[in-house]
Amino acid sequence: MSADDEVLCSHCSLPVGLRAMERALNGESHAFCCYGCCIAFQVKSGRNEEWDAAWLLIRLGVGAFLSMNIMMFSLLLYSDAFTGVDADMLPWIHLLLWCLATPAVVILGAPYLREMWLNGIEGHVTSSTLIVVGVGAAYGYSTFAVFGHGPHVYFDTATMVLMLFTVGRYLEAVGRARAARDLEPLLAAEGGSATVVDGEAEVRRPVREVEAGMLVRTRPGERIPVDGLVVEGESSTDEAVITGESRPVVKSAGSMVIAGSICLDGPLLIRSMGAGTATHWAQICRSVREALSRRGPTQRLADRVVGVAVPLVLALGALAAAYWAQTLPFDRALLIGLAVLVVACPCAAGLAAPMATSLGVGRLARHGCLVREPGVLEALARAGLFAFDKTGTLTTGTARLVGVDRHGAGSEEVLAWAAGVLSHSEHDLARAITAAAAARGIKPVAALKVRAVPGRGVRGSVNGEPVAAGSRTLMTDLGWSLPPALAERVRSQEGCGHSVVYVGWRQHVRGALSLDDSPLPEAQATISALRGRGLNVVLLTGDLAPAARRISGLVGIDDVEAALSPEAKSAALDRHRQAHGVVAMVGDGLNDGPVLAEADIGIAVGSATDLARETAAIVLPRGGLWMLPWVVDVACAVRRTIRTNLMWAFGYNLVALSLAAIGLLQPILAAAIMAGSSILVVMNSLRLERLPDPVPPSQGQPSPAVMESSGVDVGVAMMSSAAIERG
Amino acid sequence: MTHYLVIFAAGFAGSFHCIGMCGGFACALGRDARGAGATMRRHLLYNTGRLTTYCFLGGLAGALGQVICTAQGVGTAPLLNGSVDVGQRLLAIVAGLLMIAMALQFFGLLQTFHRLSVGFGGSTLAMSLRSLLTARSPAAPLAFGVFNGFLPCPLVYAFIAQAAATAGALPGLLVMAAFGLGTFPAMLMMGGVGRAVAPVWRQRGVWLAGCGILLLGLITFGRGIFPSHAHIGHAWMPGFPA
Repeated sequence: MSADDEVLCSHCSLPVGLRAMERALNGESHAFCCYGCCIAFQVKSGRNEEWDAAWLLIRLGVGAFLSMNIMMFSLLLYSDAFTGVDADMLPWIHLLLWCLATPAVVILGAPYLREMWLNGIEGHVTSSTLIVVGVGAAYGYSTFAVFGHGPHVYFDTATMVLMLFTVGRYLEAVGRARAARDLEPLLAAEGGSATVVDGEAEVRRPVREVEAGMLVRTRPGERIPVDGLVVEGESSTDEAVITGESRPVVKSAGSMVIAGSICLDGPLLIRSMGAGTATHWAQICRSVREALSRRGPTQRLADRVVGVAVPLVLALGALAAAYWAQTLPFDRALLIGLAVLVVACPCAAGLAAPMATSLGVGRLARHGCLVREPGVLEALARAGLFAFDKTGTLTTGTARLVGVDRHGAGSEEVLAWAAGVLSHSEHDLARAITAAAAARGIKPVAALKVRAVPGRGVRGSVNGEPVAAGSRTLMTDLGWSLPPALAERVRSQEGCGHSVVYVGWRQHVRGALSLDDSPLPEAQATISALRGRGLNVVLLTGDLAPAARRISGLVGIDDVEAALSPEAKSAALDRHRQAHGVVAMVGDGLNDGPVLAEADIGIAVGSATDLARETAAIVLPRGGLWMLPWVVDVACAVRRTIRTNLMWAFGYNLVALSLAAIGLLQPILAAAIMAGSSILVVMNSLRLERLPDPVPPSQGQPSPAVMESSGVDVGVAMMSSAAIERG
Repeated sequence: MTHYLVIFAAGFAGSFHCIGMCGGFACALGRDARGAGATMRRHLLYNTGRLTTYCFLGGLAGALGQVICTAQGVGTAPLLNGSVDVGQRLLAIVAGLLMIAMALQFFGLLQTFHRLSVGFGGSTLAMSLRSLLTARSPAAPLAFGVFNGFLPCPLVYAFIAQAAATAGALPGLLVMAAFGLGTFPAMLMMGGVGRAVAPVWRQRGVWLAGCGILLLGLITFGRGIFPSHAHIGHAWMPGFPA
């Protein structure tokens, strides 16, 4: 892959392809994927009252002036205004038309000629060749007719074809820029500028020059350019693009802000925590840029077809002209050949896939979902099976108290003693237990002399009495006995895959706390939404079977494969691939990276900010599992759009080509139709903008699974004491 | 010929409306430092560009009208004698209604329609074209005029509807040419002299333009409704192939 592939068009953010149009405008160099984008960009930047942009517009305006005049004089010719007495005028009118047409053809045709030449010396034949050959033939014949006193000239055809193609490409480019609108925030990271505060002075600087420790000011409505710490000011920020969080997040002095989020309602002074190019936003930007600059499989196929089509059409045009020349006057036959060339210009086909893909990618990006490979949306639309990882994907990934078994003490007492001694520990399980106690309003006993026993637990004393919480080994080490009834219940808890923490005081084990991971609130709804779309769902986990079965039961997955090593997961994916075709794997992207890479589509949830380690093709934002069905919908819509686009482009071409070849299509009409087909493809793609937004799981009516883990944030569910207590 | 004179007059009256939007451009185009001759050339170029676009659009609309009429004629001619007329009458009715709607706008009525007709992103295009106004090239005013002609404007729409109703490329072109020439004096005055017309006069001009368009619209509409005796429209343009 050459370096050129990574360049995106300055106007529409689509890849520029093999041959970029490069222009230096107002001191900055820009690359454009096509002539249309070049015009549209300069029209847009014409607002800056800069000379560079005006020059192109002047040329286009003069070209339009000339060709409109040619058209009007030709109209007079066609309405036989110069017959009879005025017939002497005819050669002079022709000469006048030639004088008007020559500069018009030069002005309007030069970009096409240049494109043809640049591609030609690299051995490519592109659609501009068709235009140049067609227009050149019409102009050449007419010039010959002017000086050879022939009866007809076709300067109007030559110039109007150029005009229509130019206008068509401009309109197309305007539509394409709309497609890139959603992507803009993701592509703007390094190109933007930041207001750097240096003592008293405030200077605008490119983001890439911002370094750690610099002070940056952001005004309401601006995008925060750097990761950093708020020094001064208060504002709510919109972090949707980076974290997927759709609600505004309030930031004030001391809060961290993320580059790429929008400062909504107040100015902020931010101390940068790293270089402007090292932010997550910049990483995301590079990743999206890279994804867009590569071509998906459909696009590669379309490109290949277009590559073959152009020489074929050239031959067809020549054949049509030769065939009709036997029965019709030469100029009429030439016009038919010209119509064939113009109408078969395969511009729309080249646009079909990238346009729809970039709209889809932008649509997803607006909600914090990142697509990192161009063809992946098409693949996702074909996926027959979704394999899920368990921990951290379908579950919260943090422990939660699910049961209290006790012997000779009340459950509240057990929790109070456990929380008292464990409140000094940073361990996951310890935090879950103290949080559970707090959630139930239990005041922890005050423990003193607390110290950790590495790998075993914690011990301390309350009113001089020893207290300990930890593993069974800790209890055995202390010589505290475990009542057989409690031991029995604990064994069944462990059988379910729960982790158990023993609590004891006064030389006895008094209770056992069972902890487990819990399913995410949205997991069940997500799984049923996927199944509702006719997709198969399977759980692939490295955890033990009992835990896997418990979670799969709660979220509604029937097909469970537990205790799998990473290799076994890959093997399982292979097996499923044979049964269901394309397989998508959903994981948290941290410990299942290789498996995500192994699947046809790797989807990582919750780690958009850890892109560097990702192997996933699609990254959903933290807590964004619920968006998965919507992502699948978008992918299906993108695939459908690409197909309809291609059908349009090729179908339209074939029908118009046949009409032109049998001589039913005027070249000017053919050019209008052709420009229309590209615009149709753009319009058809823009329908993707109307896809509904993802609907977050409703907060009002939680399903049972939702209830159980509604306290996800603190790692504990606020269950009723009856549900936990067993004793 | 009278027909075109009426349109010229309507264009002249309507140009007081032009002062609102296009007059601003003309002022911005301003005077050339090289003297009155150069200033005159600038503004003539600008207006020529505008006129060309108008004529082109008129020719296009006329041709479209012709296509509609012919298609209608081909489709029904074998069945109904003189049915070529049906298409033209239909066209006249539609064009007449459009013109009446545009005229009502000038009296401050039908504001939604106004937003619809002006809200085609015209202002964005106008903004973008600003670079042309300050460009030094002698061709810049011409280019600007050409683009200016495409900017959405109810006045232009009204006359394009009229041009379409003529159902011929050449008469359509001539309608727009007459209209465009009608707007010349006011626009040249705005640019060359750079003196603002008193708002009272502007308002009167706009009303006058509204009346003119309303009248034309009613006549066009009437031509579609009463084909047998109201041949005023046809009487106006003898000798032109329709």
